[in-house]
Amino acid sequence: MKKLIYIAAFLFVWVTNPLSAQTNTALTYSMGFATGDLSDFISKTSFRGVTLDFRSMTRPDLGIGFSLGWNTFYESKDYDTYTVGTESLSGKQYRYSNHVPMLVSFDYYLKPGEKVSPFFGIGTGVVYTRRNTDMNLYTLKQEAWNFAFQPQIGVQLNNSITSATTIMLKYYYGLKAGDLAEPQSYLALNVGFVFRQP
Amino acid sequence: MNRILKMGLLAGLFGFVVTGCYPGGADYTSDLDVVYSNYDDGFNFKASNTYAMPDEIVIDVKIKNNGDTIYEYMKPIYADPILAKIAQNMSNYGWTRVDIADQPGMILSPAALSNTTYFYSYWYDWWWGGYYPGWGWYYPPYYTVDSYTTGSMIMTLADPNADSPINESPTAWIGAVNGVLTGSSDITRALNGIDQAFVQSPYLKIN
Repeated sequence: MKKLIYIAAFLFVWVTNPLSAQTNTALTYSMGFATGDLSDFISKTSFRGVTLDFRSMTRPDLGIGFSLGWNTFYESKDYDTYTVGTESLSGKQYRYSNHVPMLVSFDYYLKPGEKVSPFFGIGTGVVYTRRNTDMNLYTLKQEAWNFAFQPQIGVQLNNSITSATTIMLKYYYGLKAGDLAEPQSYLALNVGFVFRQP
Repeated sequence: MNRILKMGLLAGLFGFVVTGCYPGGADYTSDLDVVYSNYDDGFNFKASNTYAMPDEIVIDVKIKNNGDTIYEYMKPIYADPILAKIAQNMSNYGWTRVDIADQPGMILSPAALSNTTYFYSYWYDWWWGGYYPGWGWYYPPYYTVDSYTTGSMIMTLADPNADSPINESPTAWIGAVNGVLTGSSDITRALNGIDQAFVQSPYLKIN
């Protein structure tokens, strides 16, 4: 918890520092499409997600910053029987998988300053994953801090020098960690607004 | 200042979005019903085809001030259909119900928990004890009875002829329907759960 407070304080100072260079801050609604092991656990698309991308523009075509997000996957499974060894358990399962990526990110803008500005980038850091399997009054909680990579592509549609609309596709890949025996990955389609400090 | 305000608004919106639409879970009590079963994979269920079962279901044991032990039983209006449902499933799997005096191959002990203690095993020890002196059954360590909630329906199968140094037979099978006997006079969920316990225990089928 203390670690999180330090990170939050550092980011707050960074974002609000009036001496920093031009900034590019995107707040986006995020839809998640599970892949790999996460898809085996929850196959349904997530419509619950949000991402905050902050970039400090070291050059007009290069942004360095951080990406914070939250994607919640959820699926209510039909009544079914689950057997492990000699034990069988029947009932409805409610499955949740929460992912909180905290990444350092770099973006390269192909046509900075133009009306349509495509970009690509990569982020690296950790994704906190919490998986809950609820049955009856009990829950099985599994947690992991996955070391993660996150390539992304997107485009910004510039409305003015201080604002834009953006759409981006991010792929999160968190290496195997914690209680989860497999890597955790998903695609995210983000749509939202960009606020710039010129 | 304007910038800090903007970032504050962004953070507020962020928080609103992520907390305002968190997914829910079960909508109805019946969505929480679970049926658990477990068995001893070294036990040969086909070694016999007869079983005995009492005509009553004990729900509590009380000890009075004078030391008398009082057993409380489930009302027949509830117990009879439950016992009939168990008997029907056993019959479908090829088992023949016999009287306790006829030396059954297995003993089936149904119980409904009005609390989460182990009281009912004492009652069954007493119930069968007239025919199998010194007999009782116990849960092997891998059966986790203590996680059942009030209102659970539990069935156990044990071999009364099994010999052990402590005069108790290990439970060969347990079926539990969790929490379905609370809050309503409707026992449909319990009856459906009993059916499910047998469906998910095909190794009990001997015909």
